[in-house]
Amino acid sequence: MDAAPALGISLRGVTKAFGAQVALDHVDLEIPQGSFLAVMGANGAGKTTLLKTIAGLAVPTAGSVRIAGVEMREAGPRLRALIGVVSHETMLYADLTAAENLRFHARLFGLRHPREAVERAGERLGITPVLDRPVRALSRGTRQRVALARALLHDPAILLLDEPFTGLDEAAAASLTELLEELATPERTLVVTLHDVVRAMAGPRRLVVLSAGRIALDTPIDTGSEAIAETYLGLLREEARR
Amino acid sequence: MSWLGPALAIAGKDLRLETKTRDVVASVGLFVLLVVVTASFAFPTAGAGREGVAAGVLWMAFLFAALLGMGRSMAIEKEDACLEGLLVSPAPREAVFLGKLLTNLGFTFAVEVVILPLFIVLLQLRPGGGLGLLVLDALLGTLGLVTVGTLFAAMAVNTRGREAILPLLVMPVSVPVMVAAVKVAEAGFAGGMGEGTLSWLLLMVGYDALFLLVALATFHHVTEE
Amino acid sequence: METHTLRSTATELATPDTDEAARTRRLWGLLAAISLTVLLAMAFWYAPEDANQGPVQRIFYIHVPSAWIGFLAFAVVFVASIAFLATGARRFDELAASSAEVGVVFTTAVLITGPLWGRPVWGIYWTWDPRLTSFLMLWLIYLSYLVLRGYVPEPIRRARFSAVLGIVGFLDVPIVYLSARWWRSEHPTQFVVEGGDLPPQMLVTMLVGVVAFTFLYLYLLSVRRRVARLRAAAELAEVGR
Repeated sequence: MDAAPALGISLRGVTKAFGAQVALDHVDLEIPQGSFLAVMGANGAGKTTLLKTIAGLAVPTAGSVRIAGVEMREAGPRLRALIGVVSHETMLYADLTAAENLRFHARLFGLRHPREAVERAGERLGITPVLDRPVRALSRGTRQRVALARALLHDPAILLLDEPFTGLDEAAAASLTELLEELATPERTLVVTLHDVVRAMAGPRRLVVLSAGRIALDTPIDTGSEAIAETYLGLLREEARR
Repeated sequence: MSWLGPALAIAGKDLRLETKTRDVVASVGLFVLLVVVTASFAFPTAGAGREGVAAGVLWMAFLFAALLGMGRSMAIEKEDACLEGLLVSPAPREAVFLGKLLTNLGFTFAVEVVILPLFIVLLQLRPGGGLGLLVLDALLGTLGLVTVGTLFAAMAVNTRGREAILPLLVMPVSVPVMVAAVKVAEAGFAGGMGEGTLSWLLLMVGYDALFLLVALATFHHVTEE
Repeated sequence: METHTLRSTATELATPDTDEAARTRRLWGLLAAISLTVLLAMAFWYAPEDANQGPVQRIFYIHVPSAWIGFLAFAVVFVASIAFLATGARRFDELAASSAEVGVVFTTAVLITGPLWGRPVWGIYWTWDPRLTSFLMLWLIYLSYLVLRGYVPEPIRRARFSAVLGIVGFLDVPIVYLSARWWRSEHPTQFVVEGGDLPPQMLVTMLVGVVAFTFLYLYLLSVRRRVARLRAAAELAEVGR
């Protein structure tokens, strides 16, 4: 066991399958605390299932998911308190205001000072002026900010984002990139699924590519990002041929 | 108690949503009112033995209220993946179930509280001392319908048929609780406890308790992937 | 770590047939064919004619075993559903689904043969007798089970949802029976055929019927499970491409 209770994520032999459908196939993956990991792959390669498995939304058929060394299966609620999730859907009630949505989630997370938590998250994401408007009336980019604020309410040690750039215009995407960079501190672990290789080169420090439920590529992103992009596109082309 | 806080938060959120949209109570209430009025024309609700007919009509109306309300309240969670938002929180799955159960009970009771007196007046029933029994009947019967219904609604919204298949799932298994509830309502309309009424009440208590346990034990299977 | 990949495991699981499975299936089929022939012969020539009801009583040699299988099939659904939720193994889901389909067939047979007998003997096709009512509800619950399966395209969800319904539905049956009894308590059922009053030849024939129908159930179940495996293989071929 590690000396420090590091808030890392550890997947061992994680398989999610049902008969012929194999979403994840014996995935072994260590994501140490402080990682900023991008997960890529074609549609149906298992990206979303991977995130759902870490978030406790999907239960693996075989293998183990450990967070901070604790088995997810055994301590779901306690571990979920450490995680923030942003899905490609907002998880927000369109008829409630942004503030009402956030306060609800603060209560759901059992936060001691829900109002303060909402104010803090609102300021951090620059949505204070729109807090009292119904989510239905907000633009896609603003909704995404509210969704991020929701995921950050409890200041999670682990942040999982599923295709967060989908549907954002360039300005919103740029500020999301900035925000992710700011959130990627040595204490926090970030896992983000992407389908645009250019986004993976702007921020994340490690890239994992899934293909048919298996890890096809696992590489640090430091220098020579063009070479990595080339390898990734090569993998995609190869897959398209099959 | 780690179940109560999140469950109350969920029910409170649904109440807040309802005060804004008035989606459920208005549409369901009106529908159930129409059922009651139409049934009053369609069935012999005057003369001898009308308590039995009235009890049947009343519980068909309550069943519709519960089914529509539950379908709607779960459909809200399905939009924008809100249910996933509940499931990624530290709230235990059981608390999420209880929260939705509270919401569905609340909505159905809200409709029943309006319909029951109206029904008694429209059909010129004279429950007298049976009123307390009718209230108890509504509580126990609705709890049974809504317990099974909340579990099945979480399944139904994830099918191709969406909420539309909820009645197909709920109605067959809720027959015993419907029979019991109708029998007790008949006694209630006739003025109070009759022969066998206690057995029917106990049957409802047993049904409610059994399926509450089953639902708590299996809810995570229908929400997790 | 085992060297073979999950994909190859899936292929093994989805293999249409193994020699052993085929042999077992043929064995059940053979036993069912023989015992059903014996049952027919016994029902018409061995068992005596009922003094009051006449030849129509002989339908009971099909009716009662069908009812037994209907109940057995749904008990299997219940147990397989619990096993599925506990283990997540696909074979339990296949077993539950197959057993439910076969069970619906036998329950349908009960609901058809019952009125055929009831009309000449009671003078009515249908009465809300507790047993009849319970079988009707059983039939409806498992029809809704099959409908639910048809409405969920994703296999995992389909398996989980139908397992939950399989458990709730089976636990509901005794409560349905109880409520149906109390409901009609003012009309006690005097038509009940008690096993104790039967002449021994009738009882033996009935027991042969139960055995024969159990073989038939096992045969149909094994055929239905083979269909499920073939379907899985087809699905795999689809995914593999």
